Amino acid sequence: MYALVTLLGVSLSIFVILRILPGDPLVAILGVEGHARMTPADRVRIMADLGLSDPLPVQYVHWLRDIAAGRLGKSFFRGDTVSELIAHRGPISAEIGVLALVVSWLVGLPVGILSAFKPNSLPDGLARALSILFIAIPGFWLGMLIVLAALFWFGYKSPIVIVHLWQDPWQNFQIVIGPAVVLGLAQGAYIARMSRSCLLEVISEDFVRTARAKGLREGLVVMRHALPNALLPVITISGVLLGFVLGGSVAVEQAFGVPGLGRSLVVAVIERDIIVVQNLVLLYAVIFVVVNVFVDLSYAWLDPRIRYG
Amino acid sequence: MSLDRRTFLKRTGAAGALILGSRLPAPGRASAQDMTVRPDPAAKRGGTLRYAVHNAPAHFDVHQSGTVANIGPQSPMYDTLLRRSPKDGQTIIPDLAWKWEIAPDNKKYTFHLRKGVKFHDGADFTAEDVKATYERIARPPKGVVIPRTPLFATVGDIVVVNPHTIEFRMTEPRPKPYMLGAFASGWNIIVRKKTLEENQGNLRQVMNYPGTGPFKHVSRKDKEVWIQERNADYWNKGLPLVDRLEVYHMFPFSPELGSSFLAGKVDYARLLDPVSWRKAKEMQGVTAAAFNQSVIQAFWTNMQKNKALADPRVRRAIHLAMDRHTLVEVVKDTAPMQVGGFVYPFHEMSTPRAELEKKLGYQRDTKPAVQEARRLMKEAGYANGIKNLDFVVRDIATFKLWAVAIQAMLKEHLNIESNLRVVQTSVWFDEAQAGNFDLAISAIVSTLMDPSDIFSAWYGKDGPQNYSRWTNPAFHDLANQIEREVDDNKRKQLVRKAEDILENDPPLIPVSYEQIYDAWYNKVHGQNPSTFFGIYDVVRWDNVWLA
Repeated sequence: MYALVTLLGVSLSIFVILRILPGDPLVAILGVEGHARMTPADRVRIMADLGLSDPLPVQYVHWLRDIAAGRLGKSFFRGDTVSELIAHRGPISAEIGVLALVVSWLVGLPVGILSAFKPNSLPDGLARALSILFIAIPGFWLGMLIVLAALFWFGYKSPIVIVHLWQDPWQNFQIVIGPAVVLGLAQGAYIARMSRSCLLEVISEDFVRTARAKGLREGLVVMRHALPNALLPVITISGVLLGFVLGGSVAVEQAFGVPGLGRSLVVAVIERDIIVVQNLVLLYAVIFVVVNVFVDLSYAWLDPRIRYG
Repeated sequence: MSLDRRTFLKRTGAAGALILGSRLPAPGRASAQDMTVRPDPAAKRGGTLRYAVHNAPAHFDVHQSGTVANIGPQSPMYDTLLRRSPKDGQTIIPDLAWKWEIAPDNKKYTFHLRKGVKFHDGADFTAEDVKATYERIARPPKGVVIPRTPLFATVGDIVVVNPHTIEFRMTEPRPKPYMLGAFASGWNIIVRKKTLEENQGNLRQVMNYPGTGPFKHVSRKDKEVWIQERNADYWNKGLPLVDRLEVYHMFPFSPELGSSFLAGKVDYARLLDPVSWRKAKEMQGVTAAAFNQSVIQAFWTNMQKNKALADPRVRRAIHLAMDRHTLVEVVKDTAPMQVGGFVYPFHEMSTPRAELEKKLGYQRDTKPAVQEARRLMKEAGYANGIKNLDFVVRDIATFKLWAVAIQAMLKEHLNIESNLRVVQTSVWFDEAQAGNFDLAISAIVSTLMDPSDIFSAWYGKDGPQNYSRWTNPAFHDLANQIEREVDDNKRKQLVRKAEDILENDPPLIPVSYEQIYDAWYNKVHGQNPSTFFGIYDVVRWDNVWLA
C-alpha cells in the first residue's frame, strides 16, 4: 500500500516538474531555424498534435489511464513507443545493474571481512583507503578513463550498437562489463565499509566468543556465526545502493557509450521528450520501490526475531 | 636592346604572373549541366560503408528539419532537382532534372526531368511530385514549418508542362546562383505527391517514406544505426557503388565518435572533435579533412531591453573589444573555429581574410581596437562601463568557454560587468525569442552561403534569428537591392557596403565561424569534403567505393 502511495507521489512529482520546467520541446522537434520561423498558429497546431494542449489534470489522468492499460505512450518526436524502447534497451541496463550488484558483493564483502578481522592492519588500511577512493571518484570519470586507456593502449572499443545476451554473449559481455565494474566498485566500497563496521560489532558479541571457545576454525566462526548476523544492514544498504546504481548508470552508460536506458533518459531530458522522461523515471521508481519491498521481506526471512515479532 | 631595372622588374613580374596563373586551378563552374555524377573508372563495387554521424533525428521530415541528424542518415535515400557536385561540393549539376533553362529576365526556371525514374515503392517519378514537393516547401500547410521557405518567397506559380517538364514562375527575379543554390540544397529532397497526401502534408513521424535515391531503407534502431541497401534500380546506372550503408549514431565532437573511429569501428567519421581528429591525422592509412560549415557563432545584444546596447557606438565598442584570435584558441580542443566578420569569411563576395585581418576588431594586436572601443564608450557616455548585464549562455562546452573569456574581455577592456546564466538549449531559444537577456551567446545556421540568405535570416528586420531586434533602414534597403541584383560584380560591391554598415552598427557580435572535421580510412574512395560548404548538401554516398 505504502509502495503504491510512493509511486503515485513520484508520478505526480515527475509530471508536474516536467511541465513547469522552462524549455521548449519544439526547439528539438523543429530545429533552431524552424523554431525561429514558427508562427503562433503553427505552435498551437503542433502542441495539439503532440497532446500537450490539454489541461494538465487531463494530461495526468490520461497518462495514469495509459499506464493502467499497459501503454506507456510514444516518444512525441519520432513516434517510437516507450514500451519498445524499454524492451530493446532495458535488458542491457538490467544486466549492468545486476552485474554491478554482483561485483559490489564479490568485492565489498571479502574486503569488509578482511578489514574487520584484521582491524588497523596494513590490509585494513589499504582496504579503507581504496573504499574511500572508489566512493569519491565519479563513475563517469572513471568510465571515461577506462574507455581512453583501452583505446590508446590496446586500440579497443566495445561494440557500438546493442547486442543482446541471447544474440551474442561475448559481444554482449563486452558492452556491459565496463559500466558494471565501475558501478560495482563504487557500491562495493560502501558494502566493504558497512560490512566491516557491522562485523566489528558482531565479533565482540558473546556468541562469537563462545564459538571460538568451542574451538571452531576462524573461517567457520566468520561464515556460520558472525557473517549472517552482520548481513542485515548490508542487505538494507544494498537495496538503497541499487538506487545509486540506477542513478549512476545514467552517467556511466553515457561515458561508456552504452545505448542503455540511462543514456536514453539523458537524451530524452535534453530533447525535452516529456513522454519518454516521465515513463522512464517512473520505471526507475518502480524498480527502486519493488527492490526495497523485497529487501524488507528478506529481513523476516533472515532474522526470525522480525518474523515472530 | 637596353633593359632598365624598372622594365626588367615589370616584365619579370608579368611573366611570373602568367606562369603562376597557368598553374592555378581554374575557378570552379558555378553550374554545369553536363556533369551528372559518373562512377570512377577505377571503382570497385560492393562492400559495406560504416559511416558515423549524428543520427538521432527529432523527427523524420527532412523538409522541416534543420539538423544533420536528418540529413546525415536520410539524404542517401533521396534525390533533389539539382545537386552540388560531390567532387568539389560547389558546382551545381543535374540530379532529377537533367537539364534546365532560365528565362533571360530570370523570371522563369524550366526543369526537364529524367524519364524512367522510380520511387523505392515502384511508383514512377513525375513532375507532379516535384510540384507537390515545392508547393509544400514554398507554401507549407498549417503546423508545418520549413526553414527553407523564404528561399522560395518569389516563386509564384509552379506549372507542370508535361509529366517530365516543370516551370517555376517567379514573381520577381533573383540572382541565378541564389535560386540554383536553393534548388540544389540537400534539404529539398523530392518526395511523392501521394506520400504527402496520405500524411496530410506532415512527415514528422513517417520513418520510411519512399525516395528515388541511391540507397533504400532496410532497418533502423533509434539512436544506434540506420541500415540501408543499394538501390539496384537507381536511375544513375552503375551507382551506387557500395552494397550496404550503415549509418551509426554518434554525437558530434563526442569522445564516443572519436574512439569509435580510432578503434576502427567505423570507416568514415563526420564532426570529429579536434583531439581525435589530430590523432586520426597522424594515423597511417587515414585521411583527415577540414572544411567550412554554414554556421556563425555569435552573441546578441538586446537593443530593446537595454538602452546602452541600443547605441551603435556601444555595440561597435563591444565588437572591437573582442580578441577573436584568442577566442578561436580558447576552444581549439573542443571545436574547430576560424575568425570572421558578418558574412562568411570564405565567401567570394565578403572581405578577403587578409584584408579583414587588417581591420580593427580582427587584428592579432588588439591594442588599437581596444583604444577605439574605449573612445566610443566615452563618446556614448559609458566611459565608466556598464553594470549587471544578464549574459545568457547556451549549455554547450564551446559557449561556456567563450562566455567566460568574453566576460573577462568586456570587463578588462570596457569595464562592462556581466552575470553568466547557463541554460539548456531549448531554454536558450525561449529566452532569446522572448527577449529575456542583455547578452546571449549561441550559434545560428544558414541554408546557403549566399549573403542574401543570411541578410534576411540573421540581420533582416523581422529575421527569425535577429535576436537583438536590430533595425537599420539603410542596411535593409541595401539588402533588398542585393537580393534583386543579378549582376555578380555589382552585387559584390553592394555586399561590401553592407559589411561596412554592419561593422559600424553590429546586429550581433561575431565570435567565429565553425569548421567541420571529417576523417576516413583510406579504403574509402570518392569522397573528399575539403572544398565543401556545410554538411547538408553533399551526403549521397552514391559515388563512394571501397577498396
